[in-house]
Amino acid sequence: MTTGTIGRIVDFVLSPHIFAPLIYPGLLAATLVLLTLIWAERKMTAKVQLRYGPLYVLKPLGGAIQLIADAIKFMFQEPIMPRNADKWVFALAPVAMMAFTIIPFAFIPAAPGFVGVDVEYSLPLVLSLSALIPPLILATSWAANNKFTLLGGVREAFMMVAYEVSLFIAAFAVASYYGTLSLSKIVEAQSVPGIILNPIAAGVFFVTMLMTASKLPYDIVEGEQEIVAGPFTEYSGILYMLVMGASYMELYVLSLVFVELFLGGWKPVIPALASIHPAFEGISLFIKAYLVLLFAVFLRSVYARYRLDQALEIGWKKLFPLALLSVIWSLALLLVAGGA
Amino acid sequence: MAEDVYKPGNLLTSLKRHAAAIATGLRYLLSTKRMTVRYPEFLIDLGEGYRGMIRWRRERCISCGLCAQICPAAAMKMYKLPGEKKMFPGINYQRCIFCGFCVDVCPAFALEHTPVHDLSYEELDEMIYIPERFDTEWVSPALKEGARPVKVVFDEEVGLRHEPK
Ligand code: SF4
Ligand code: SF4
Repeated sequence: MTTGTIGRIVDFVLSPHIFAPLIYPGLLAATLVLLTLIWAERKMTAKVQLRYGPLYVLKPLGGAIQLIADAIKFMFQEPIMPRNADKWVFALAPVAMMAFTIIPFAFIPAAPGFVGVDVEYSLPLVLSLSALIPPLILATSWAANNKFTLLGGVREAFMMVAYEVSLFIAAFAVASYYGTLSLSKIVEAQSVPGIILNPIAAGVFFVTMLMTASKLPYDIVEGEQEIVAGPFTEYSGILYMLVMGASYMELYVLSLVFVELFLGGWKPVIPALASIHPAFEGISLFIKAYLVLLFAVFLRSVYARYRLDQALEIGWKKLFPLALLSVIWSLALLLVAGGA
Repeated sequence: MAEDVYKPGNLLTSLKRHAAAIATGLRYLLSTKRMTVRYPEFLIDLGEGYRGMIRWRRERCISCGLCAQICPAAAMKMYKLPGEKKMFPGINYQRCIFCGFCVDVCPAFALEHTPVHDLSYEELDEMIYIPERFDTEWVSPALKEGARPVKVVFDEEVGLRHEPK
């Protein structure tokens, strides 16, 4: 009986609708990405700035487990609740933020035919789920009741209108070319990588992706040197870990989408890995997404932060027209090629 | 010079500039140059003129009190020692700004700067040195643990280089 129960539990865990959001490419893989990516970010930035970066935690590997040390520190740190904060919102918004970054994994196909919940409209669904995060950031900034968080919240509100529209239009430019809103169908239909077919959409999507996850040069919302940590100023301990992790998770989700839209998704498939679990067949997706992530965080060491007005100008005067142009480009391609 | 002034370009020129910036970043990413001094293992030798922790020699002090009088941060104070008629200076490193006025004003050369600067304290009270504690030699904890002293050399390529001394 016990083996039967265990077998059923294992089957349950390995079934796509649990495996995808919780293990791969979801929570567990994302945690791994988080731990290694932030380390890599610090290490690369240090390298460019002629420094060492994290070094002393596991020195032979160049401080590779620094992030684990940091995570343990955050776990045991006292989460301080400001006296004048709106306590429920303050405590629950980070949790909700994390949740909204994990739910999309259920809809992102990870391998041919492997997706947690197969819906026809996965692309808009994933994008709109991550679009639910900015309002939560606004909620935290209001709830914390502090001038820095409020300034950060206002900046977030401005930024949100700057990138969200272009992000969606760029994604739909690709979708309109393939005539489907399903991520798995887009990947299947992609014989030439989307970045070659529609480089404008790829560029716009990449830049707005950076804006969404407020990574440099668009970390205007957090703006460490001017407004401490923006909306997250008052957070400490495990709640801070959640809000900080959420922005990286969001970047990870969007880079998965980026790879599926523009870099051929899980192609080339590696069938040998399917014997471990069908999801690992599409490991190329993960590797490509990781490379995109590495490039995205590497930009931190190249650029200085834009001002809010500059970012808004980029959003509305440059990215928005370019996004529209990418739609026209897609339609023109359709006319020329007569469909994908 | 005039060519170096930034002119906003069109889409293509700005794409080119972004590519150049990223290429520069990548070049630095792949180079092995480093400027960091790995502190507890190496220590920059600061030489004579550095204004670090202040050494006081009791046998030279004439108890004039000038150091306490001139201290702009009220870090130096005169203390009465039990069984002594004279007063002697003590220092509070919570306040000291290492301006060196006390060293300059001392008529008996009882105060001097040392290059030791890398001390840390667990409690605030430890930072107050009453005359009994003040009259001791300062030692850098890193050097005590076996740090190798290095000296800074300006370098055309890296910026700063650190050579063993
Ligand atoms: S160095 Fe300046 S601040 Fe420090 S004790 Fe001397 S006079 Fe005061
Ligand atoms: S100025 Fe010099 S001699 Fe005078 S009290 Fe201070 S340490 Fe002593």
